[in-house]
Amino acid sequence: MSGRWLRTRQAAGRVLAHKGALLSLVYLALMMVMALLARWILPYDALTQDYVNMLQAPGPAHWFGTDELGRDIFARVIYGARTSLLTAAGAVTIAGLLGVPIGLMAGFFGGWRDTLLMRFVDVLLSLPGILFAMALIAVLGRSQMAALVAVGITGIPSFARITRAQVLSLRKRDFVTAVEALGGSSSYNMFRTVLPNAWSPILVQVVILSSVAILIEASLAFLGVGIPPPTPSWGEMLRTGKSFLHDAPTYAVFPGLVLTLTILSLDTLGRTLAKVLEDRHEVVDAPGGKP
Amino acid sequence: MIAFILRRLLQLLPVLLIASTGIWAMIYAVPGSPVAAMVGENATPEQIQAVTVRLGLDRPVHVQYAAWLGSALQGDFGLSIQNREPVLNLIGQRIPATLQLGLAATLVGLLLGIPVAVLSALKPGSLMDRALSGWSALALGVPTFWLGILLILLFAVHLRWLPSASGYVSVFEAPLDAIRNLLLPALTLGVYVSGIFARFLRASLLGELKADYVRTARSKGLPERDVIGRHVMRNALLPFVTIVGLMMATFIGGTVVTEAVFTYPGLGRLLIQAISTRDYPLIQGCILFILLVFVFINLAVDVLYAYIDPRIDLA
Repeated sequence: MSGRWLRTRQAAGRVLAHKGALLSLVYLALMMVMALLARWILPYDALTQDYVNMLQAPGPAHWFGTDELGRDIFARVIYGARTSLLTAAGAVTIAGLLGVPIGLMAGFFGGWRDTLLMRFVDVLLSLPGILFAMALIAVLGRSQMAALVAVGITGIPSFARITRAQVLSLRKRDFVTAVEALGGSSSYNMFRTVLPNAWSPILVQVVILSSVAILIEASLAFLGVGIPPPTPSWGEMLRTGKSFLHDAPTYAVFPGLVLTLTILSLDTLGRTLAKVLEDRHEVVDAPGGKP
Repeated sequence: MIAFILRRLLQLLPVLLIASTGIWAMIYAVPGSPVAAMVGENATPEQIQAVTVRLGLDRPVHVQYAAWLGSALQGDFGLSIQNREPVLNLIGQRIPATLQLGLAATLVGLLLGIPVAVLSALKPGSLMDRALSGWSALALGVPTFWLGILLILLFAVHLRWLPSASGYVSVFEAPLDAIRNLLLPALTLGVYVSGIFARFLRASLLGELKADYVRTARSKGLPERDVIGRHVMRNALLPFVTIVGLMMATFIGGTVVTEAVFTYPGLGRLLIQAISTRDYPLIQGCILFILLVFVFINLAVDVLYAYIDPRIDLA
């Protein structure tokens, strides 16, 4: 276990040595802390309306200005980060919990189970993600849960494919066939032997899919089918901001900027991680002890 | 070749069947059924019954599915609940607009993406390469709706050169007006795909540059321009065709967000309207249509790829 810990630390060190990744990480951490502590550190909350100060330009009192109901846009952007990050976390969890086992089973068993499972994944993949999400929301109605599930399901195919590819390359390795020969059950072999060695591309996928999930959530909100108001959401703010391009040109600029930086940060982080993990000397961590 | 196409079509059947079943089953998953959405809240039981019978929703499930699939196969997607027009007509009216935007965006994407890819592949790792990779990352990372809003702010609100809302004007009837209307949405989508095109073509070029025939061409003294233009480009563009085709397929349905930014009257806006008015036959029709286009363009791309690359064995 200590060997793995050491390698994890080495990999983390190499990711942080990359300037872009370090910057991304700092930005994401800052945003997460602000989103968590928003109630204590912000002078305004996201919902208080102020009809005297509507559609104000950015200034010392309101850094990003105010919206059409006089709400502080900076506060709404920070609270919107909660919506985005939570949706991303939930959606990636759903996608991973369903996609990884699908890929694991398809790759491990092969044959008809592989065909069946991957055909299912192909069907999911045959529709552009955002359309699928919209169709699902049309059925489920607009809610936080619907947005989360819709975005989550669109992530299943990439998890399934990545895991399957990884499992296929591990399937015939000695330490896997050894467990089989010693009579270890398929589920033990899959989850305890194969999966722990397949985690690195899955981890990269978690980071990359988070950025995709945030983008899809924002797109749905922008189209007016995402999480219903008054919950602050970057996409929803851009949607309303678009109606005030003449009166308050900066309204739509800031939520979009924060959204873009978030997506770029996650993407940079994911790419750096992929590079570092790929370069790493692939030392196969054979499970010691049990069977 | 024909056997290859037939086999690919056969492989598509299960995908289409499952997807169409899913799309059809949407109606059954809706809380309160489409009937409730149609008759409104104050309907009497008799009205509900009448609408249920009229829609044929009182028949057994499998009969309904067979009937729906049968008419869908004949191109009959039913009537829109909202304005009682055949769904297929509504979709048909939007196709020219979506097609025009999709083609214009692909063109912009190629014009921006190919030079970026070639310039960065010439000297991998150089400052130029890194700057251009930054462009690709930015093009892919900036959400299209935000880029669209920024472009509107600059060109429509600030400079007042272009309209902030884009209508559909056929490029064959009024080319200048069409370009005025298309420029911003096509640029918005084009910047995005240019990122995809550039990344893909760069990787493809770098792969080809390592090939033996490049060394041969260089060692016999061909100028670098000819090595790239005559030899490398031809081979690198082969896999590139796939990605261009894929993007065009996505554009047929995937311009939803950009169409919303510019209130452009394409297929995507039709779908959004259908969803917001819970017009289920129209939603089903749009999604099924987009799915079919997507799947068949993919097939066409595969066939085209196999056709232009003689190394691919069709058997």
